Amino acid sequence: MTRYASPKLGGYAGLSALGLLGALVFGRPELVALTAPFLLALAVGLALATPPQLEIAVELASERVLEGDEVGASVVVSSQTPVDRLDLYLRLPPGVELADGGNPVALRLAAGERRELEFTLRAAHWGGHLLGPAYARARDPLGFLVWETAAPTRPELRTYPREEVLRRVVQPRDTQLFSGNEVARRKGEGIEFADIRLWAAGDPLKRVNWRASARRGELWVNESHPERNTDVILFVDSFAEARRGGAGTLDLAVRATAALADAYVRRRDRVGLIGFGGILRWLVPGTGLVQLYRVVDALLDTQIVLSYYWKEIDVIPPRTLPPNALVIALSPLLDGRSVGALLDLRARRYDLAVIDVSPVPFTIRPSGGIDQVAYDIWTLRRDALRHRLQRAGVAVAEWREGSPLEAVLEEVRAYRRYARHARV
Amino acid sequence: MITAGLALVVLGAAAAYAVSTAGRLEPAALAGGAMGIVLLAVGITLRWPATVPWAVLLTGAGYLAGREGRSLVDGWAAAVGVMLLVAAELAMWSIEHDARIRSERALLIRRSATLAGLACVALLVNFLLLATAAVAASAGVVLAAIGVAAAVGAVAVVLRLVAAS
Repeated sequence: MTRYASPKLGGYAGLSALGLLGALVFGRPELVALTAPFLLALAVGLALATPPQLEIAVELASERVLEGDEVGASVVVSSQTPVDRLDLYLRLPPGVELADGGNPVALRLAAGERRELEFTLRAAHWGGHLLGPAYARARDPLGFLVWETAAPTRPELRTYPREEVLRRVVQPRDTQLFSGNEVARRKGEGIEFADIRLWAAGDPLKRVNWRASARRGELWVNESHPERNTDVILFVDSFAEARRGGAGTLDLAVRATAALADAYVRRRDRVGLIGFGGILRWLVPGTGLVQLYRVVDALLDTQIVLSYYWKEIDVIPPRTLPPNALVIALSPLLDGRSVGALLDLRARRYDLAVIDVSPVPFTIRPSGGIDQVAYDIWTLRRDALRHRLQRAGVAVAEWREGSPLEAVLEEVRAYRRYARHARV
Repeated sequence: MITAGLALVVLGAAAAYAVSTAGRLEPAALAGGAMGIVLLAVGITLRWPATVPWAVLLTGAGYLAGREGRSLVDGWAAAVGVMLLVAAELAMWSIEHDARIRSERALLIRRSATLAGLACVALLVNFLLLATAAVAASAGVVLAAIGVAAAVGAVAVVLRLVAAS
């Protein structure tokens, strides 16, 4: 606890000393009368000033909320000594707003009293937000001394992004071994009809296609496509972002990643995450609701960290990128390192789709002059970069703020259909 | 705003009394009082607490200048002293006040009661002091020496308390 004297203490002490000495020098009793009240206030104030023994704790009703939700918070304060005036202030991080309640607030505490101050907070922005610290400032009855302290506890409010519900997602080219919702290209045990072939020893009778067998005079059996799961790796580029006001490309990318993770997990696919940026984060592919929470939790800590270190795809642990996985990259394509990594992934024959989270809506086109020319060249170079990726066989779709993710995914699907037909 | 206005009114009343009872140095009393009020207004407006003791000092100096040439002890000095204290307290209250902090009503009542109580006790102490001074006016060297020792002791105690805090 930090203690300091208020400006009043020095002022009153100076007035008292000056007044009494002046009374002696000038021999005027009136000066004593002018000074005595200040002297009395000092004596009473300092006699009544006792250091407060405060205990402060910040509590949250819920540690996990969705973006836009409200959550209750309370600051519990108690003191073993009386506190004549206590100012309490709970510092709110950016992304958390006060919806209801007073902050800061001034109150009085009797000895042994415990008070619980209730607040309603609104989680305005996704992320892991550390609440507090809660600062307390206590004063003695006449305000000569001030004590300041802060609560040692800082609860974290994890705000999950509100994701868009996707009806269709980008289907991976290859499937894995476990059962899932994706119809595999290969033939095996499944529901979807694939072809018929001649009966072979060991084929069960239930697979005999009696109509075809009757027509051809020998036994033919049905073949089917098995339903398998897929591996999807969500690649979030956090090297750089374009930001304007309260929104930015990283926000869009994180929300889209959460929506994609939700959609793929619902399809029983294995979902992994790579946060490629100043800080490299990864999550080995997994399935189920727990994996979804892991992905979203990892996303909350994603932030732009400035780094000059040249990172390539080799820095990513090999287990994070299983063979035949679909890699969906969400990138503003602003940093050469992430573009290089994407091209490298494609060169290693990964099934890659890129959602270009366009930084253009977050910029202002200069009104004229050389700046405008430079801006136009920049946008043209972005188009050229997208074409370069497409020439490498990567499905690229530009996503601008305000347009639905579903439409962007449809664009990616359309490109992949076209590319597949072209290859055949 | 209320506390700021009251502080200026109370200090103005003290200055007005000083001017009204002033002798041949009335302009000095007027100048001291006026400068004190202006300084207090500036301090409150700009939220500079360091100006408050200076404003009190100037007003007190104006009062003292007005008493120049008068040998009789002014009994109303007790009230003037309390007025100076109340003006200083109200000014400090106004400067400390932060509209963003939501205060409980009980806090406001308690602070007002504390200030009123302090003013009453200070007034009583002042009257006792002045009464003692009137009685001891012709008491001689011994009592004068005791008075000097008491004043120096009081200053020493105050400085010790300030240093300890």
